[in-house]
Parts: sequence; C-alpha cells; structure tokens
Amino acid sequence: MRLTAVVFVFLFVMGFIDSNDTLSVVAQEIARPTDVIKTQQPVIVKLFGAGVGNLDSYGTGILVSPEGHVLTVWNHLISTGFLTAVTFDGRRFPVDVVGTSKDHDAALLKLKTEPGEVFPFVDLKKSIDPEVGTSIYAFSNMFRVAAGNEPVSVVHGVLAAKVPLEATQGRWVFPMTTPVWLIDAITNNSGATGGLVTDLQGVPIGLIGREIRHASSRTWVNYAVPLTTLSPVVESLRSGKSVPSEAKQASADVVMLSDQQLTSRFGLTMLPSVVERTPAFVDDVVRGSVAQKAGLQRSDLIVLVNDTVITSVTDFQQQLAAFRPGQRVSLTINRDQELKLMELRIP
Amino acid sequence: MRLARSRGCPADHRKGQAVNRCYRETAGEYEVDNMAGNKRSHVRGSSGGSCKYVTLATLLWSLLLAGHVSAQQSVAEREAARVETIRRITPSVVCVMAPNGEGGGSGVLISADGYAISNYHVTSGSGSFMKCGLSNGKLYDSVIVGIDPTGDVALIQLQGRTDFEFAQPGDSDQVRVGDEVMALGNPFLLASDFSPTVTFGIVSGIHRYQYPANTFLEYTDCIQIDASINPGNSGGPLFDIQGRWIGINGRASFEKRGRVNSGAAYAISVNQVQLFIESLKSGLIVDHGVTEFTVETVEGEVIVSQVSELSEAWRRGLRPGAQIISFAGRVVTSANDFQNIVGIFPEGTRLALTWRDKAGQHEATIRLRPLHAFQKAPTLPEERKDGPKPDGHPESPEEEQGGPTAPEPLPDALTKLFVERDGFCNFYFNELQQKRLLDPLRSRVASMGNYQAGWKISFAASGGETPLTGELTVGPAAAGLKLNGAPYLQNSNEPDASEEPSQLPGFLTSMIQLKRLLAGQNGGFTEQLAMGRTLHLPLRKPVDILVTREGARTCRWYFSEGSELPVAVDVEYGQAIDEARLILDDWADRGGIVFPGRIGVISGEKEELTWLTVGEVSSK
Repeated sequence: MRLTAVVFVFLFVMGFIDSNDTLSVVAQEIARPTDVIKTQQPVIVKLFGAGVGNLDSYGTGILVSPEGHVLTVWNHLISTGFLTAVTFDGRRFPVDVVGTSKDHDAALLKLKTEPGEVFPFVDLKKSIDPEVGTSIYAFSNMFRVAAGNEPVSVVHGVLAAKVPLEATQGRWVFPMTTPVWLIDAITNNSGATGGLVTDLQGVPIGLIGREIRHASSRTWVNYAVPLTTLSPVVESLRSGKSVPSEAKQASADVVMLSDQQLTSRFGLTMLPSVVERTPAFVDDVVRGSVAQKAGLQRSDLIVLVNDTVITSVTDFQQQLAAFRPGQRVSLTINRDQELKLMELRIP
Repeated sequence: MRLARSRGCPADHRKGQAVNRCYRETAGEYEVDNMAGNKRSHVRGSSGGSCKYVTLATLLWSLLLAGHVSAQQSVAEREAARVETIRRITPSVVCVMAPNGEGGGSGVLISADGYAISNYHVTSGSGSFMKCGLSNGKLYDSVIVGIDPTGDVALIQLQGRTDFEFAQPGDSDQVRVGDEVMALGNPFLLASDFSPTVTFGIVSGIHRYQYPANTFLEYTDCIQIDASINPGNSGGPLFDIQGRWIGINGRASFEKRGRVNSGAAYAISVNQVQLFIESLKSGLIVDHGVTEFTVETVEGEVIVSQVSELSEAWRRGLRPGAQIISFAGRVVTSANDFQNIVGIFPEGTRLALTWRDKAGQHEATIRLRPLHAFQKAPTLPEERKDGPKPDGHPESPEEEQGGPTAPEPLPDALTKLFVERDGFCNFYFNELQQKRLLDPLRSRVASMGNYQAGWKISFAASGGETPLTGELTVGPAAAGLKLNGAPYLQNSNEPDASEEPSQLPGFLTSMIQLKRLLAGQNGGFTEQLAMGRTLHLPLRKPVDILVTREGARTCRWYFSEGSELPVAVDVEYGQAIDEARLILDDWADRGGIVFPGRIGVISGEKEELTWLTVGEVSSK
C-alpha cells in the first residue's frame, strides 16, 4: 500500500514531465466512481426537439463553455429546429444553432440565457486520446429515462478500438474519415447521441455518435468521435469561421446550399433530408425573411423551381445554389392540394 | 458474421471487463457469447522522454513496474473476492418455471423456509403452482403466496426444506450511481442444471420512474443498471459488489435490437420489496396507493394542483397552490420525486406530509388510498409475459419433438397450500397470518371473564384544555357515554358520526369494535383478514395489521412484535370524516376483562393526542 503511494507520487511528477497516460493508469486506483460521475453529470444537457418518422425527438449534448455552448451531433434533431435544452438542474432553455460541421457530423448550439449566466462545462482542451483498453463512462439522455433535474444515465465500458468508421443510416453515409472510438458498451441507443465519454477520472474523451449501423456487418455501432478531433472544430465554430472541409473534391462535385445557409440566408428550414428522396416540405419560415416575403409557409411542398421539377430536399438545395444573389426565381408550391406560384428573390 | 467489439483491459480487471463480449447477429437471432479475456499489459512507460531525463526516466520506469505489480495484485484480490461473493450468493437464486417446465424466469430466496421473490409477470403465466430449480440442480414444488401486480412483484414458497440458503438484503437507499452490481438469473434459460448466469455492471441511475407502458406494471423509484438483462432474467436478484441483495431485475428498455439487453435495465429496489413482503406473505393481491391530491412541478417547486374536498388531506388544510416540501420523510423536488415516493408503499400506508402555504409550514399524516383495488389477479398482455421463446432462442430438442408435456397431477400436500378466494391471491396464507396474530390474543382473552357481558368503564383525561371525565358503557348493540355530564349514545348497527363526542370523535364506535374483537368468534365481523406490516404513526414502530370489516366500518388493528393484544386501532366509520385513531396501551386484567390502562385518542386538524386514563372497569 505504501509502495503504491510512493509510486503514485513519482508518477504524478512524471505525468507532468512526460506522459499523461501513465498518470491516468495509477490515478484509476484512486478516484471514486460515485464522485467522478457526480462531477460529470452537470455538464450534460438533455435535448428535446422534433422527431422525424421513427427517429427520436430527444438527444444529448455537452456544455463546452461557461456561456452555455453545447456540442452535439448534427443529426435530424438539430435540423428540425425548435430545440429545447434541459440542464442538470431542470431548467429549460431555448437553443440557437451556432454552426455545424458536416465533415465532423457535429453541431455547436448555444443556450439562450440571461447575460452573465455561468454553466459548468467540459474543457475540450483537456480532452485526451488514451490507449485502447482504457475503461470509460458514457453519459447520456438514453431512452429519456431521466426527466427534468434527474441525472442522466451512465454506463461503463472499454475503448475497444480507434479506427475509421464506415457506417450508414439509411442512405446517409457517415462523413468522417479520421478515426473514431469504438466502445464496448451499448451507447447506440435512442437519445444517447451527443453524450459524453470520459475515462474513469472524468477526463473527456469522446462525443457519443449516431444510431448507425456498420456498413458491412450491419450491426449497430457503438462509437464516439474523439473530442481531441472536435476541439478545434468547436473553436472555429465559436469564432464564426467555417470549418475546413476534409473532402473538398467530393463536395465540389455537387454544389448545394447547406441547411444552415438556407436558414441564415433565406430564413427557410426544410424537412431534414433523412432519406434520399425526402420530399421538399417547408418546416419553418423565419419572420421577415425573404422566404416569408415570397409567401412561403410551413408545410408547403416545393414542386417547381422555375421550370425544374423538384424531387427532394437535396434537389431543392442544389437548384437554389445555381442562382446568384439578386436573381428572381419562381417557385411553384403545393399547399393543401392547391398549386400556388410565388417569386423568391435570391438574397 | 461476427463483429468483435471489445478487447481486454487488464489494467481494469477490477471493473469486470476481463470477459469480452461478442455479439453474433444472424437473421434477427441474437446470442451472447462469452470468451476469456486476453491478458496484455496495459501500462506503458514513457518511451519518448527527452535525453536529459533519461536517468530519471529509468528510475521512474523501474518504480512504475513495481507499481504495476502492486496494482495487479489488487486486481487479483478484487477478482478473488468477487468470485467468492458469487459462490456465496448463488444458492439463493431461483429458476422459476411453470409446472410443465415451460416458460420461466428467475427469483431469489429470502428465507430458510422457502419464501422467494420473483416478478409478477414471471409467475402470472404459471398458475398457482410452479417448479423452481436451484443451483444444486434440484427442482422444488412451489406455490404462489401473494402478488403485487402494480409493482410487478410476486412471492412464492418453495416446498420440501426448511434450510434453504437465502439472500441477505442490503439498503437500496444507500446505492449510488457508479456502484458495481451483479445480476444473477436465468437469461434465455441457458442452464439446464439451474446454475444462474452472472452479469456485471454499474448503477446507471437511481430513483428512476418507469411509466406503466400499456399495462398496470409501474416501476417507481427503481435502480437503473447497465448489467446485461435479457428475457429470463426477470424476477432475479440484483446484488451489490458485497453480495447484498439490493433489487429485483424486471424491466429493460427494449427497442431496435428486439427484446435483448440494450444497456438500460431496471431493478425494483429491495427497500420497496421489503415494504410489501409481509403483505405478500398474507396471500393478498397487494395494491399500491394514491394520494387524494395531485401535484405538478412549477419552476423547480412541487405545487399542489388539485385536492379532493372529501379527503383527509383537505381536512388537514392542504389546498391547491401549496408547495410540497417532503413526503414520507423524503424531500420532494419534482413531481417525479413525489410519484417515486408514493409508488413504493402499499395501499393504506399512513405517511407524513410537510407543505408550505401563505400561513406557513404544516405537517400532517395522510393515508394512501387504493390505486387499482384488483379483485382478481389482473392479466398481462402476451408480450409482457416472460420467457425466452419470442426472442428466437432455439427450442430444446425435446420440445421440438414432443411439444410441452402435460403436467403431472399435483400431490395433495401441495394442493392444500392453495385456497382460492375473491380478492386474495392465496387465502391459505392469509388464514395462516390471521392465526399468527389472533391465536395469542384468543388464548390471552380466553383465560379471562365474559366478553359477551356489558362493560362499564370510567376514565379521565387531564392533559387537554378542559379536563375530561367519562363513564363508558358498552353493550352488545350500543355504546353510551357520559362525558363531563353530557350524554352520547351510539348505535352498533348503523353508527351516526354526529352521535360521537366532539372531544373524542369515533371513540364510541371504536369501543364497540374493540368489544367485538375481544369477544371472539370473529366478533360478528363480516370480513377479517391479515394485511401485512406497516410503520405505525405516530408510534413509529413496525406493526402487523389485522383488518376487520362490519358494514361500513373498517378497523385496522395493529399488533407489534411480542404483543398479544393490539397496540393501536384505526376505525373508519363514515364517508368524508376522519377515522378514529386510538392507541391502546398498558393492557392488563381489569375488572374481569383484559383492557388497556391508557387509551390515546388522536383527533383534530393538528392530529393531537389525548390520553385517557382508565379508572374502574367492570363486566357483567
């Protein structure tokens, strides 16, 4: 026992000199699980929004700044809008989308708060990439078991591998090419997306990923995106910079407006494109936007852009991208089984 | 095809991950395989140290190795302790099957005489009798004793031995998120020799509330775990790492994977089970309770939204808009909290309530009212019944060839242990408990005089604002009282609440009922039943309950450990009025009968206790 203590002191010193890994190994003998878990739960928020089809209307996010920035996965929950976040103390906040990174499948949100409000948060700069085999905790709003001020669920497991992930959700293909953590714990559950993975000391490691299947085995993949990868992404999104794309060539092939551009420029939110041919339904229109001025309303189905038939949300996003600011475009929409013609000025 | 999802982590054997899990998915069927973990050194030294630190690094490296050895020892010790704990707790785990060996789930022995707890959704498919297998490989005939359908709990009794090894309960209120736990049971009915499967995990959440989804099964204040729980685990015990029984595994969040483990399972807390055990032992269909008011969470406060004007809570002064502070001694911070507290108690339990309104803080006790009042064991939808078959587990070859065999006729020794009666699960066990409570009372009373005769009793009370002196007469059909000179007469057939003295409401009716209880031959009660155990308020001691009914009058007689005679009684004798609540103290032979020397009467908005000192007693 005494020897262990001596070794710990030496290793503690060495940890500063050199390797964080060795430090954490010994510290595992010391931290009490109950205490570690208690300190982590306040940085998790429960997200509630709109479900689409059989996709859930709830998820998870991690507070990453004292001002209330929340990191989560950029899934249908974010795209549909109307998001509410519930913090550990049961308070509910409306949420703004600060920015998204398609390449990292990440979204940065911000709680709409009174100025000066301070939240507990995960310091992403302190996130680590430990060895495969490290024991972990995974915190999430899975199955919406915890309501209001109740602490989120925590499960235990092991980092099983760090590998590039080939996975899909319907037609959607997981975009990240850099490695992600595979976890030996069931984190691929309703609402767990956007949860936090830490080591047994509570040091941040990963963001729990989507409910997706492995491309070849078709098994549900329990994975987390390394926070060391996401940390600079969050920095960029917070400062308003765009996130450099890892797949420029691929995206150069097809020019299309992102969901975010549609919202910020046109004031238009479309039904999230969860399947390949998601019909181009308008989900929301921002008051005073060009979309509203054109006369668009929630639940309108876009049928034609000029004379081109629109077959899906993606199709619509591609068509709109072809016009220059200031151009006028005619839109034909179907509203309550009636076709209407309107004019949209490209902002 | 197989996807290996994990690799060993020797640095963390203490967390139980030495065993890898591999999932094999074939055409919608799932199996869970176990493989030995690969042992590989996890700790790596700092290989990239700068030159000037080489000497220091070498020194530290050697120390690090020493540290690793010591860490490994502690891992080995933990593992040995865990293995020993599992060996110790295994004999208490039960494999519960229908008489023909079909279906099945798990259970846990709680006493040497064979009482075992399981899930209601496990036993409900078996009928009144079942076969139970233990880890010694033997099968035992078993009988249903009592059920708690709402709480999804059933009590059965294994027959044939009085020296069963049983589980030691822990205190589930002390369970913390992150605690290591072990679930034992019969997932997929894997073991033909009934040796239970052990799965390991941590506590993922406490005080969880799980709605009654399409059924009446409601999991309140339960323990959420990430240990694998699969069909067949239901009814089996959850143990903490020291081997203390802390819950009954009964439910899991099943979704896209089908009905197999998803990492979110729920155990009924052992503390809730303990609150029901004595009621279950009484052969009852035990009901849960409801309050006669509702609450909602408003900006972090729990606010009363509605109160029934006929309720006890209303009479104690609770009104809509009041803020609930605590209930049953627990602080309430959300409507879910409140639901969690209500849900763990049997119907009829009296609980302390604290609330705040404009006038300040108030305290009162209120009784929970029946939630469902089942007259018969309720049926569950097919998909809620447990059993491995719907999940694609391969059938055993015998079953494939011959189908389920017809059950053998049950021996008489077993069938006599079941008595069917409306409103009861198994009336045999209620009679057993009635006998336990009433035999000592009967033999104590029998040695004394004539309880059929009329009683004359004088008493006095000096503690209150006005001193009381009374002369009580109790006859076979009525009771009369002269209290400070004012006369009162209460009819025994159709009592009239307005005939009771305002200083001692319900006192006359209670005395008529007491005379009936002591007179014997069921006292002319229309119904009599043992009801289980509760914590009596304000006595604050555990008491066994005997309920008697006569017309609209319901008495709850409370017997404490070692007392032949009731220590208290609550008498309901009318709608929308307070029950009479009496404490019966200092029983002794007085004037030819056994009678209390002191009677405490609880009454009024503040539930004040007035002690009556009994003077002369005569019986003629």
